Amino acid sequence: MTGGMLNSVAELQAFVNDHERTHVVGRRSKTALHQVDPDTMLADMSGMRGITEYQPQEYTLTVRAGTRVSEIQAELRKEGQYLPFDPLLPNHASIGGTVACNLSGSRRHRYGGIRDFILGAQVVDGLGRAFRVGGKVVKNAAGFDLSKFLVGSMGKYAIMTDLTFKVFPDAPDYQGLRLQYETLDDALNAVFHCNRSAHELDVLDFAPCDRGWSLLAGLAGFQDTLPQRAKQFVATMRAESALLDATEAEDNASLRDPLGGLTDDFLAKVVISPRQIPSFDARVHEMQRRYSAGGNIAWLATHDIDALKKILEAEHLPGMVLRGAIDRPLIGKNIESPLAARVKRVLDPHNKLL
Amino acid sequence: MNRSFFEALQKIYPDNRLLTRDVELLPYESDALTAFQTKPGAVALPVSEDEIIDTVRLCHRMKVPFVARGSGTSLSGGSLPIADGLMIGLNRLNHIKKIDPEQRIAVVEPGVVNLHITEAVRQYGLYYAPDPSSQSVCTIGGNIAFNSGGAHCLKYGMTSNHVLGMKVVLADGTVTQFGSESIEGVGIGPDLVGLFVGSEGLFGIALEITLRLMPAPQLYRTVMAAYDNLGRAGDTVSMVVASGLLPGAMEIMDRLAIKAAEASVGAGYPLDAEALLIVELEGEALQVEAEFAELRGVIEESGAFEIHEANSEDERARIWKGRKGAFSAVGRLSPDYIVQDGVVPRSRLGEALVKIGEFKAKYQLDVANVFHAGDGNLHPLILYNGREPGALEKAEALAGEILAMCVDLGGSITGEHGIGMEKREYLPTMFSPVELEIMQDLRRAIDPEEIANRGKMFPGGEAPALQMHGMHPLERQGVISRE
Ligand SMILES: Cc1cc2nc3c(=O)[nH]c(=O)nc-3n(C[C@H](O)[C@H](O)[C@H](O)COP(=O)(O)OP(=O)(O)OC[C@H]3O[C@@H](n4cnc5c(N)ncnc54)[C@H](O)[C@@H]3O)c2cc1C
Repeated sequence: MTGGMLNSVAELQAFVNDHERTHVVGRRSKTALHQVDPDTMLADMSGMRGITEYQPQEYTLTVRAGTRVSEIQAELRKEGQYLPFDPLLPNHASIGGTVACNLSGSRRHRYGGIRDFILGAQVVDGLGRAFRVGGKVVKNAAGFDLSKFLVGSMGKYAIMTDLTFKVFPDAPDYQGLRLQYETLDDALNAVFHCNRSAHELDVLDFAPCDRGWSLLAGLAGFQDTLPQRAKQFVATMRAESALLDATEAEDNASLRDPLGGLTDDFLAKVVISPRQIPSFDARVHEMQRRYSAGGNIAWLATHDIDALKKILEAEHLPGMVLRGAIDRPLIGKNIESPLAARVKRVLDPHNKLL
Repeated sequence: MNRSFFEALQKIYPDNRLLTRDVELLPYESDALTAFQTKPGAVALPVSEDEIIDTVRLCHRMKVPFVARGSGTSLSGGSLPIADGLMIGLNRLNHIKKIDPEQRIAVVEPGVVNLHITEAVRQYGLYYAPDPSSQSVCTIGGNIAFNSGGAHCLKYGMTSNHVLGMKVVLADGTVTQFGSESIEGVGIGPDLVGLFVGSEGLFGIALEITLRLMPAPQLYRTVMAAYDNLGRAGDTVSMVVASGLLPGAMEIMDRLAIKAAEASVGAGYPLDAEALLIVELEGEALQVEAEFAELRGVIEESGAFEIHEANSEDERARIWKGRKGAFSAVGRLSPDYIVQDGVVPRSRLGEALVKIGEFKAKYQLDVANVFHAGDGNLHPLILYNGREPGALEKAEALAGEILAMCVDLGGSITGEHGIGMEKREYLPTMFSPVELEIMQDLRRAIDPEEIANRGKMFPGGEAPALQMHGMHPLERQGVISRE
């Protein structure tokens, strides 16, 4: 497998035009996604990096696709702002890869995922054409919204070279909370209870632990209101059986890292809804796992990827493998769609982008 | 209308749901962009998903163009019929099929009225966030076509951000489903929901939609500040943003709009102000109170000559009533008017307003400004008298200059009303020839016969002659008002 490091849009266009098959890689943080056959050329985007436009007062940011996420976060932090979809693997992933794989962390619970914050993109398609999709302002209703389509598109329709996002001011302080429940049902009921309350949580995850299930919640806001808000929250959580553990600042970051304890060979993202969890969890109870964003994303680690594939198929859930050696990273429910196929026909009729 | 097509339609619809007589077709001849009027060949009123699917397949097979219609409140001519084509009226598919308060989702048919969702879920402490001013009438299907927004979009986004899944029939009759009940929506694979929303009815018809619901805020805190010039109100918006606050809404009205709104609803607006800024915070009570203290500090430093905080839900409602009714109120001052919808980067609002002032002088027409300042979405309202020869053309020319300015300043020709018929010729000012070609190819890949909403969005094609501008009939009756 060979490839080239691309430094400009023009180089990328030439690369796509010159090769039969192109597979795009960012910073290769998700190993499972790059298992392509030897004839496929790798277009390495890690040379296209840097913030090209940042206007804090507009809440907009434009950045080259190969930029490492942590670099962007550092720049935003200087202005007290952040990417509310909470990109995953910030120290390793490129922003282009993050969008292409649609990987949001636990804080997406508050304001939404990548699709809710992408405004536009510059792309090169399978015909080598360079063009823009979407806009650069926070509101725009002109034309088809291909920028949202690119979220999760895994480089198969067009390669993003730069991306424009909506960004938000970050709250000055954050408070992580851990509540303890005996069973999954109790934890799920607690989540449902949160969903029907007016508490505005930044994070709402749950995962099995030694003593049953931990509910990991996060509140963001002003320092002087957080203790009181946390108290009110816990008070409404039917928390007799719960143990409050208001973690320290260093702990907060690890508490809200959804991939923290997931060390097994294969790592997968599964799109799920809270009501689907009981039946699913009964089948994966031996795997490392965490349910994120109020039980709307499952993160799983396992050494037995075939077992996970079968379970996802049986439960009609779509999954994507991020880590581990596997031929096809998309597992479980088939997500092929006639609408996506039409877009492919237009943007990459010769099936060059893999 | 082709005879065999009509006979085939009769097999799907009983007579009382297949309208053909002139008097029956009249209400469907235009939408809220009353400048355009066309008579459809027939109007079909399906009551089920299957009827819609059969109808679209029939249209595809016989190459008959169709237009889906919700409530016909489009301000860009999006639901204008196609001459001799079929109009598919979706108002009867108005069932909320499922509400799951614990997962915070609702599954609805396309003809469900926007506000009815909030009314149905209020008992669970939830609401449906996108709030176009027409929300008491407009449908989710129409909202999807235009990715509609409202005054509260900055924080929680537009329609697209609240659709998790959908079942659609594409224009060639293919029925497909994407997304899920997960808050991630599609989550894995390209975001097809995001692509379909905002496609202006050109891809097909949304049959069933899964929506995300939001918890109703515990507390709203609303403040109104009066300024002696528009620039200062605009600067205050920048100051609020710089302070790190994230308000749910930030709205500005100019003198003409203030006066009209005050005369019409008595909102308590200061009549001597050149500009009025409304800022609203929403959320958990403790947090909102703390934020409001900070906001108060910013506003006090902003050079406002009068500051008024809403101290009760009644007062808040009155402030919003004035704001939401401002356009209809201005409209009543003039026989005819055009509502424009454009976006500029927020930090260039001041510049944009100065330019609009210059256009006013150049064309000698009155323009009132009401806008979603938080996201730079301008809604200038151009007043004219259609009976004066050349007045409409002058107003159109002024509107065109405003759109060109929006593009020059790095913004957009539409923030929420869409391209429709109205802005087709402006699309090339925002997109390159390659980009336009790709969008057209995409449309044809989905709809080879170009039957869905033919003639809309893309430049060219035949446009019926402009006739007049004015209020939507429901506005005249005071049922809805526009932003
Ligand atoms: C007084 C007034 C105030 C307004 N305020 C706002 C505002 O604040 N914000 C805003 O964004 N807009 C506003 N609008 C514009 C308008 O209300 C919105 O565009 C609304 O979404 C249209 O909904 P509708 O049901 O009336 O759709 P229609 O006008 O009937 O149709 C609009 C488009 O949707 C398509 N369509 C309808 N149903 C479907 C379906 N099921 N699947 C696919 N396509 C479909 C139609 O073909 C058409 O192209 C306002 C309009 C008026 C008259």
